[in-house]
This record gives sequence, structure tokens and C-alpha cells, in this order.
Amino acid sequence: MAIVHLQADHRRFTGGEEVLEVDGATVGAVIAELERRFPGLGPLLTEGASVAIDGELLPRGSIYEEVGPTTDVHFIAPITGG
Amino acid sequence: MTDTEARPTYKYVGTRPIRHDGLDKVTGKARFAADLNMTGQLRAAITRSPHAHARIVSIDTSAAEAMPGVKAVVTGADFPEIDIADPIHDEAVNNIARDEVLYNGHAVAAVAATTLAQARAAAVAVKVEYEELPAILSIDEAIADGAPLANPTTRTLFTGDTEPSNFASIGQFERGDVEAGFAAADVIVEREFTTVPVHQGYIEPHACVADCGQDGKASIWASSQGHFAVRSKTAAILGWSTDRIKVTPAEIGGGFGGKTTIYLEPIAVRLSQKAGRPVKLAMTREEVLRATGPAPASKISLKIGATNEGELTTLAGTMYYSNGSTKGFSALTGAMSVASYKFPNLELHAIGTVDNTPKSVAYRAPSAPQAAFAVETLVDEIAEQLGMDPIELRLRNAVVEGDPTAMGMPHPKIGFIETLEAIKSSDHYNSPVPEGAGRGFATGFWFNIGEQSSATVNLNEDGTATVITGSPDIGGSRASMALMAAEELGLDVHRITPIVADTESVGFTDITEGSRATFATGMAVVNACRELIEKMRERAAVIRGVDVDQVAWIGGAAVVEGPASEGSEPLTIADITAQAKMTGGPLTATASLNAAGAGPSFAAHLADVLVDEETGQVTILRYTTAQDAGTAIHPAYVEGQMQGGSAQGIGWALNEEYIFNASGEMENASFLDYRMPVASDLPMIETIIVEVPNPSHPYGVRGVGETGIVPPIPTLANAIAAATGVRMTDLPMSPPNVLKKINEK
Repeated sequence: MAIVHLQADHRRFTGGEEVLEVDGATVGAVIAELERRFPGLGPLLTEGASVAIDGELLPRGSIYEEVGPTTDVHFIAPITGG
Repeated sequence: MTDTEARPTYKYVGTRPIRHDGLDKVTGKARFAADLNMTGQLRAAITRSPHAHARIVSIDTSAAEAMPGVKAVVTGADFPEIDIADPIHDEAVNNIARDEVLYNGHAVAAVAATTLAQARAAAVAVKVEYEELPAILSIDEAIADGAPLANPTTRTLFTGDTEPSNFASIGQFERGDVEAGFAAADVIVEREFTTVPVHQGYIEPHACVADCGQDGKASIWASSQGHFAVRSKTAAILGWSTDRIKVTPAEIGGGFGGKTTIYLEPIAVRLSQKAGRPVKLAMTREEVLRATGPAPASKISLKIGATNEGELTTLAGTMYYSNGSTKGFSALTGAMSVASYKFPNLELHAIGTVDNTPKSVAYRAPSAPQAAFAVETLVDEIAEQLGMDPIELRLRNAVVEGDPTAMGMPHPKIGFIETLEAIKSSDHYNSPVPEGAGRGFATGFWFNIGEQSSATVNLNEDGTATVITGSPDIGGSRASMALMAAEELGLDVHRITPIVADTESVGFTDITEGSRATFATGMAVVNACRELIEKMRERAAVIRGVDVDQVAWIGGAAVVEGPASEGSEPLTIADITAQAKMTGGPLTATASLNAAGAGPSFAAHLADVLVDEETGQVTILRYTTAQDAGTAIHPAYVEGQMQGGSAQGIGWALNEEYIFNASGEMENASFLDYRMPVASDLPMIETIIVEVPNPSHPYGVRGVGETGIVPPIPTLANAIAAATGVRMTDLPMSPPNVLKKINEK
């Protein structure tokens, strides 16, 4: 379980809901559950998003990062740099 | 000048030793990619499109192949087809065109010959028949109803759309209630801002040497920001496995984001494979400007509201960013970089477009300077209308730990307030504005990233050390790695040799981008050193005949503690390595990681300018920058990054621009006509390093390479406004453009 925060353009999949409680023990499991509940959202979060947990930006591809019931997970647009 | 938060006292971290690679650099001994020459080496040249958009009907290479000295010719047909959904597709097509040319200067064919003159002559002799197609040359043209497609393979990113589109990405960021926020505002300012493409302007053109052997493997020597990425991208474009390619990093003469992308290596490898000889391929400056990544053009409409008490209530607007000829997410990044103020109500639409100009690539805090131009100009205007000090207004609204960014994610521990306070107490801010001049102030933010890094630390027989990483040294990372290793090991920094190893000699390391090298690769170095210390404690225990738990590491030596310590002298690293053979063999340690927790960085800039109202010329009298570095590992390098970012931002603000003619040809593709600032254009840029340590790094490091380019554009725009009363909203703020605005006043 984690508390997921979605940015505006992902909310079209959730009927406008921004904050959701989502089952899953890892970031990857949370994404899989979001895809099950909101088909089409999962690939966007996998391919087109960076992830922050409790305000800490994770490296790309951190799908095995563990989350807990009070973990805030933000899916945000990809961040790179120059 | 350094403004330092209380933090541990270090012996080496925070000192300013002479850089390890300095002597080679200043004596000309350092070898850049174009300096390498191999026996039997051929030179190569590229045939480039004269059209901004055209279908390739046919390519006839027979005349070129028959010319003197020519050994090989390649076209897009010499490379495998790549599915448009493949992440490497756009870069592959940008390396060499397939069905269509997408911008003026797009590579179409390449020739390898005995001499460069022969290669260039043959490149001209490649006959390409084109069918011209409508060219899109601006954001407005790209988004116009019924606009033709700039690139038929582009799909809108992250939407699942399968139809081709001129929209590279579409995103939206919201919080609060924007309508209510504006209703609660006493002051509302609204403007539209435009910026044009600018180049990263690195002094060294792209270059590589490729040598393909009869075993089907290739060695590449290249200048890049990440040689592992050169390997993986070249392999993907050629359809090879990565083990067939070894990339050795040459010294790099600047990158600033522009060398995170490859242009030449697959072509050089294929030419070498066909010719059976090494091939050197180096761009001219004209090619660099015509065919490598500029920073995107932008068009931003923004509206900000505030109360009479100076609370910024609301921000709303639309940000268009051009990605050039391929898809990208520059607009999303631009909108996300709006992260400095609390704005309880926010609505930003971020739209990336595709057109027939060169594919844009990252440039130091990519997309943030354009966004800051808009936000910081309007915030300055609000301060002016409210009669508030511009720093006070920002202090009142500045984000702190826990406040949300535009994308909702809360800020971790940051030093924005400390940065604002530092510049507020600076000598510059507390000095009177020179007569006739205007003073401008603005701030900037950048995320910074972590990602994958590896490091190996070898202790040599005499107690010296070699630190081996896979991060190309584009901003002083060798010295920073050596300093962190020195601090960990307790070893003099000049007894440590930091090197950047090839792709077969060190673990995988991501590109040096996002100001990540000192942060992430530095952590790998620290971890390797800590493992080495554990090994040295074990060796010392063997030497002293005690349990390892009785051995502590203190001040760069193994010290026996407790009852067994009597008469036991500390063992230095040299003592331990001298007996390495007798205690278990060589001492070495390797660490790899995927780093999280990169600390965001804030900067605040202050400028005094004179504006000649007869010519529009802007002269910078004084310029000061304050920036949070977390902990400055090598302060001189941090100051250099702050000054370099400022100088590039000043050039972007005042002079630099791509000038395209009506057919999409760049008309100023040389440093004679593309006006970058030189030393005589700038005053000494004063620096104030702020240190609010990042808790996610063992020494508190935040990346410092990018943030410095974010504030200069609005800083100078605000200074010009203070000097003339004219608000500049379009770049560059060059003499004719400034004069035009003054005359319209």
C-alpha cells in the first residue's frame, strides 16, 4: 500500500482523482495495480515518468523500491539534465 | 567568498588543490578526440541536406566512390531499420537520414578517403535527388491548424497516441483553484515571452576515431559526456551487441548537455568496417551549429497574481517549447522547473512541438532558463508595482523543505532562503547602484539527478592510490573524486591519481548530466574507499596479530586500540600496502550504485547594467551570483561552474540566436556571426557559495553545474527594465532589439 500522487495529465485515467491509496509493496507493484485499476496508465508511469518517494527523487527504473502504507509516491514527468 | 552553514570540519574536502589534469591542459598535452591519429587512418566527411524538409528520392554514390583516395561511402541504407517505437529511433535517424531529411544540415551520406580534402570533395559529389516538402520553422507554424507534419515518425510522448503529430508532448500541472487565486489577488501581471534557439557553444567540435577490426569489434575514441552511452547508442544504431564496442573517453572540450547525444560514432564505425581502416570523423564549427543540438526555442504566456502584502497567490500559463526535428519533453521539464515560490494556486500547460530545425538537446538545466525568464520577470514586475524590495518579495514566498514543486513533489532539504539571504547581505547588494545604471535581480532552480555510477580504487605498492571512474571530466570531477578519496582515506590528495577509464576498465556509468558526477560518482568513490578501509583494518590486524575489532582507522592510519595497543605504532597506508603481498595480495575495492536523493540547487543573481539608449547596447558593470552547493568539494571548481553558467546565460540573454532564412538554412553558422560573449564582454563574476548540505550525500554534495545558467536572462531583463523602464520579453536582448523596445516606449 502506498499513497500515490498523480500529475494533472495522468488524472484523466482516474476520473480526476489526484491522490489514491494503491496496493503494492514496491513501486513496480504499485504501477501494476494502477494499470489494473486504470488501464493504460501503467505504461505511461513506467516509460514516461520519474518517481519520487517521500520527496526523494529516485533514479530512473527504480521499480523494486519498497513502499509502505504511509509512503508518498509522486509520479512526475521525466527529469534529466544537461 | 563562502557562506558556510555549520558542518563537519574536513581536511581535504573544501580545499583548492591544483587540478590533477591541469598541467596537461595548459601545456597542450591533453589529448582531445581530434588529436588522435592512427596508422593507416582515413579522414571522413559528411554530405548534408540543403533542404529543411524533403523526401530522399535517390542517392547515387558512384561518382563519389570513383574519386581519388575514396575508400568507403555510407548512406542511411547501410544501417538497420529501427522501429519508431524504439527509444534509439530518433537518434539513429538524426545520425543519418533514411526516407526524409528533417532539417537543413541533416546528414545524408558520409565518405572516408585518404585525406580530408579528398573526403570533402567526394562528399560534395554524392548525388542526392530530393523532393522538397513543406517545412515547419517555428512553434507558431507547428501548432497552426492544418499544419503539415514536420516529421512523419513523431508521436506525442507519454499519451499512447499512435498518429503522427507536430506535438512532441502535452502536459498539465495543477494545484489549488486558479480562478479563486486571481480573484484574491490585488495585482495581476501577464505577458508573453519568446526565446530563440541557442547553441551550447562548447569550444571543441564533435569528433571521434573508430577502428573496426576483422573480428567484427570496434574501438572508438570520442569526446562525449558519457562513453558508456556512446557504446550503447552506437551498438543500438548498428544493431550490434555492446561487447563488440569499446569506447575510450578523450578529453572533452566542453559539453554543457550537448554531448549527451551522439552524431558521428555509428557512421565512423560503419565507414571503418567498410574500408578496413581506422576513420577519423570531426565536425567543422559550421557543422556543429547546423547539425547539433541547440537549446529549444520557446513561447511562454504567463500570468501571476499577488496580494498587496506581497503574497504570490496564483500562477497560470502555457509554455510551448520546440524540440526541433524530433519528439522530446523539453516543455514538461520547463514547466516543472517552476519550483521556487509557494503559489498555492497553479495551472501550467506544457506543450512541446516538432519542426524542421535541428533536433534540440539538453543545455545546462534544460528548459529552466526560458521558464525563469517569464516567471522572474513577472515576479520582479509585481515587486515594482507593490513598491517592495525584490529580494524581500521572494523571501516572503520562497519554498522551503516540504513545499510542493510545480509537479506536486515536495522539496527535500533545500537552501533557497539561505541563498537569498546571502545575496541580500552581499557587498554588491549593499552598494549604491552606479549613476545611470539599472540593477536587476532574479533566481533560478534546478533539480539535479543521481543515476548509475561505478568507481574502483586501487592502492599502489607505495601507499599511493588510483581512483578510477567512468564519468568524463567535464567540470572538474577528477579533482573532486580525488578530494573525497583523500578525505576518506586520510591520504594527501596529490598522492591520489584520478583517472577516467574506458568502457572495459571500469563499471557501467551513466552520462555526466544533471550535475550528477560529483554527487553520484563521488558516492561510488566514497563507498569504494570505505570498503578499502575495512580491508586495511583486516590487514593491519594480521600484521599486528590482533583481532580486527581492535583496529580503528584514525587519521589515515590503522590504530590498535585497547590493551594490545601498548607499543603498537599506527600503520599508515604505505605500511600496509608494503606488506600487501604477505597479508593477502593487492588492495583494491570497487563500488557501484544507482544514486537517489540528488539535492536540488538554487541560485540568486544580481547585475548592474548600463544601457546606451542611442544604440541599445547593454554593458554589464557588476555581476554577482550566490548558489547553494550543499558542500563545495573543490570551491574553485564550484565558483568556476557558477561563473561559467552565468557567462553562458548572459550570452543567451544578450546576443546569441540562431538566424534561419525562409528556407530553414542557418545564416550565422560560425562564431564570427553567432555572437557569444568573450572575456572582454564580461566583468569579473563575483561568487558566493552557500552551503546547505544535502543529507543524501556523505559530504552533503548538491550538483552545481547547471543552476547558474537559469537566472541570468531575467536578471538582465530586470536590470534593463530598471535602467530604461522597458520590459524585455523577447530574446536576445541585443542592441537592435533593445533599441526597438526603447523607441516604442
